[in-house]
Amino acid sequence: MSPVIRILARRFGISLIVLVGVSMLIFAIARIIPGDPARIALGPNATAEQVAAIRAEMHLDEGILAQYGYFVRDVLRGDLGTSLYTNRPVTFDIRQFLPATLELVILAGILMVGIGLPLGILAARYRGRWPDHLIRVLTLLTVSAPSFVWAVILMLIFAFYLPLFPVAGRLSDSYDITRVTGFLTVDTILAGNWGAFVDALHHLILPSVALALSGIGQAARLTRANMVETYDKPYIEMAQAYGFFPSRIARSYAFKPSLIPSLTIIGLDFAAMLGNAFLVEAVFAWPGLSRYGVAVILRKDLNAIMGTVLVIALTFIVVNIVVDLLIAFLNPRIRHSTRGAAS
Amino acid sequence: MTALLDIRDLRLGFRTLAGQIDVLHGIDLAIRAGEQVALVGESGSGKSVTARIILGLLQETRSARVSGRVGFDGRDVMMMSPKERAALRGIEMSMIFQDPTSSLNPTFTIERQFAEVMRRPDRKLTRAACRERAARMLDEVSIPDTGRVLDAYPFQLSGGMNQRVMIAMALANNPKLLLADEPGTALDVSVQAQTLDLMRDLVTRHGTSVLFISHNMGVVREFADRIYVIYRGRIVEEGPTPAVFADPGHAYTRALLKAVPRITGRGLPDVPEVSDDFFDPMVRHGGTS
Repeated sequence: MSPVIRILARRFGISLIVLVGVSMLIFAIARIIPGDPARIALGPNATAEQVAAIRAEMHLDEGILAQYGYFVRDVLRGDLGTSLYTNRPVTFDIRQFLPATLELVILAGILMVGIGLPLGILAARYRGRWPDHLIRVLTLLTVSAPSFVWAVILMLIFAFYLPLFPVAGRLSDSYDITRVTGFLTVDTILAGNWGAFVDALHHLILPSVALALSGIGQAARLTRANMVETYDKPYIEMAQAYGFFPSRIARSYAFKPSLIPSLTIIGLDFAAMLGNAFLVEAVFAWPGLSRYGVAVILRKDLNAIMGTVLVIALTFIVVNIVVDLLIAFLNPRIRHSTRGAAS
Repeated sequence: MTALLDIRDLRLGFRTLAGQIDVLHGIDLAIRAGEQVALVGESGSGKSVTARIILGLLQETRSARVSGRVGFDGRDVMMMSPKERAALRGIEMSMIFQDPTSSLNPTFTIERQFAEVMRRPDRKLTRAACRERAARMLDEVSIPDTGRVLDAYPFQLSGGMNQRVMIAMALANNPKLLLADEPGTALDVSVQAQTLDLMRDLVTRHGTSVLFISHNMGVVREFADRIYVIYRGRIVEEGPTPAVFADPGHAYTRALLKAVPRITGRGLPDVPEVSDDFFDPMVRHGGTS
């Protein structure tokens, strides 16, 4: 069996266990929160008969195991129930709000990797000299404040005092784009409207930078630390003894082996952005899933809370699988091991 | 006959917060073309730093203060720019290290590492040409099944195998000078003996000059034409290998010889850590090897 397939199979197995755990947790939370879900759903003016009818419909009059069974069956069918807040199916709401958040998180992730890693490489290559000191001070600054603080600071500087970027929202009102995927950067291209594409990107920049800043700092510091350690390895000296260019040594000899330990944490940081996006979306009035999540929590909208938690858990699982595959790709020891992947 | 490597009055000090620490106190050392010379001494005597100065690596360390002349093939390495020194490394001179397995890049296949080395003088070398030449080099160090080894990663090969790979890699560009820093010390004794035999044959065939750095007089006897004994940054004895072994003139050389473990011996030899006569003037044996 190919090692990659083995790693995938193992990961999917673990993910399944995690998913079952998450589903139990979500289910338990819904039952632990005080109040009769049927009563909450119908409001205070409903009659006892109405409540009883809903209870039967929601299977609340059956045993707890049977209830969990119905819950799992519904989730597998793609039915997450109806949101009390929007009065629409939760799956519809998620489809509506998730793309906006993903667009934000993906761009932030690209910034984190695209800026954080090169900064880390640069600092490690010039360790102990001024580029290193500069990068370490700057990254310490970015990791020292949470993303919502950066959101406010960036908004004040670059949208208010220097109006270079829009203050809030995803798209200027003058554009009307038909929704296809929900990703505005994709939909505007599909519509062939380049002005709208640039406008959507323009709106994306400030919130995603705010979201990415601490991740950039974290990635840079992690990469630097791991690389500085790798620079002491004998194979670096050997590469120097063969007269390879310092830039080549940095990339192929110091960076690549150092990326393996950094990658797991960068992956988790990426998934954690989904949670951090809650406050950034609130600051920039970004109509995303995180803002939806805050709204439904405040309204004790159980179905919607469960749906949102499920989506975030799924994202963590997917990111972990991707990170594991990347590590296997980078680390021949895992790729070629005859035993299971060390995780 | 002029020497390929001609070191004159080489001095090295490291600047620290507490002041300068002197490591080499004026070393003279010469290697003729095709000659195998050993530099023998205990840990911290200055053998390894000498190799790193010849390679031009220490000159780029900011805390190091290096002076003297390091003549290589008619040019002075000390007067070269970092770029000129880098151009020599891996092409005109190369080095093999103590621990073969950790000296190879863990994330590259052997083939890829060979290609990197062989593309140093000729950047346009094709993949197929690299592979073919690498296979020939591995064949020269008696590695069977060269295809499997080329596709392997260092962690999939034994230490002895990696040592042979490293020797083959070091000689791939046919350098004039090979620096061997305690090669195989990390391997077990029988494997070390095999690979050193192999290396000896190979450098003789290629006419490569070798500076062999070791602490083990027993190993050096098998390998070197001529010996320099170094103690605390000074050369204390120099001469053809047979002459040094027949009549070790310096007290420190005698201590080193005594320190070689013998099967027939009675436990660990009794060697003093420091002795006044270790600081006696240098002993020079006449004649050539």
